[in-house]
Amino acid sequence: MRRAVVLIAVILTALLLQTTVFPELTLLGIKPELLYLVTVVFAALRGPEEGALVGFVGGLAQDFMLNTPKGITALTLTILGYTVGLARQYITSPSPLLPAILVALGTAAGVAFHQGVGFLIGEEDAPFGYLAKVVLLTAVYGAILTPIFYPVLRRAAAATHAGRVVRF
Amino acid sequence: MAIRQRARSTRVLVVILVAVSLAIITVDYRSGDAGPLAAAGRAVNSAIAPLQRAVSSVVQPIGDFFSSLARLPSLAERNRALQTEVDDLKTVRQANQELARRIDSLEQLLGLETITVRSIPARVIASGVSNFEWSVTIDRGSDDGILVNMPVVTGASDGPRLVGRVLRVTPISSTVQLLIDRDFAVPGRLSTSKEMGLVEGRGEDDLRMDLLSPGVEVSETQPESVFTVGYRVNGQRGLYPPGLLIGTVSRAFSEPDSVESYVTVRPAVDFSTLEYVLVLARGRSDEEVAP
Repeated sequence: MRRAVVLIAVILTALLLQTTVFPELTLLGIKPELLYLVTVVFAALRGPEEGALVGFVGGLAQDFMLNTPKGITALTLTILGYTVGLARQYITSPSPLLPAILVALGTAAGVAFHQGVGFLIGEEDAPFGYLAKVVLLTAVYGAILTPIFYPVLRRAAAATHAGRVVRF
Repeated sequence: MAIRQRARSTRVLVVILVAVSLAIITVDYRSGDAGPLAAAGRAVNSAIAPLQRAVSSVVQPIGDFFSSLARLPSLAERNRALQTEVDDLKTVRQANQELARRIDSLEQLLGLETITVRSIPARVIASGVSNFEWSVTIDRGSDDGILVNMPVVTGASDGPRLVGRVLRVTPISSTVQLLIDRDFAVPGRLSTSKEMGLVEGRGEDDLRMDLLSPGVEVSETQPESVFTVGYRVNGQRGLYPPGLLIGTVSRAFSEPDSVESYVTVRPAVDFSTLEYVLVLARGRSDEEVAP
């Protein structure tokens, strides 16, 4: 119950910031992808299961605010959360930059995957140059924002389970 | 052993979530705007709308403050320039009112049908969530009489500039697809040559007006405006009333041996500073009755 409340609060806050604050704070005209950031950080902190779950719920919520067929973001973020959660178990780097790097790579891969699925079902027609720009800038922006959001998200992730917290 | 068990249950969960996502994509792709998914979408959007309204009412003044701080030195001069322009426009407006009265009486004389437009003012409370879609959320919804596909404009009611169309409604908020969205298209007419074409959104780039005949004349000296066209196919009216300003032509492309030429159009609305809009509600019932 507590877990569901925390998750919904985190996802709602991310969507809210994404639609009200960050359209004013763009990086060269590109908004960040906060739900990708949330998914990657949760997956890195709590493993593939939690990552996939957060990705699915957050992705579905974001899908309802999009004009593309619902479910594409849910699919993208489920796979992203699971993959990052799995990969995290094999990374032993103590670097404090690790979350930022994971967010950057995860966001780039996720945005490209999302557009790829959209293209396959005939929904997206953004030119390649613009797509490349969005992939690059959302990754960079995600990495910049990670140090700001990471402490908050770690506390939220800790609150989803009363037990121990995985730290790195 | 326990770890392996856990890994397997995680895999099962992921497979289920992926399958559900794929099912949702398929169902939504087939059913479109009807069905349980649309209802869930309305629920999510109406849950977040009050929060968006609250946050944007806090964030916007802060943003305005900082941007006005940066522009402070040029403000006085700009104010003077605007004041003279306002005086000029007041004169023009008086003349226009006289003309409007004459047109009204002539239309009545000829028995022409006039379209009455009711407009619903709304405030922009949020932008779109994605970098690939250009939309805004406004704080009026189906409870205020807004329906999907209604045109959205900004500016004075006697010189409206096209913003976009209503894409989705919830009882308390609506999503407006902006003119620059890649899925947006509206029939337009060049102001001097009266040539008609289809204006399409191109995202960050200028709009593109297609389907013009090859030898179309676009004046290079004075800016040429593009307005919406009212049309009627099989007794059904187009979505947009005629005479909404779309933008001005920024470049003309015409190759001598092509079948059609196109121009690019810079939108008349600055979407980054959009704060208030009008939703144009035409009497739907009238439309059905009209021949």
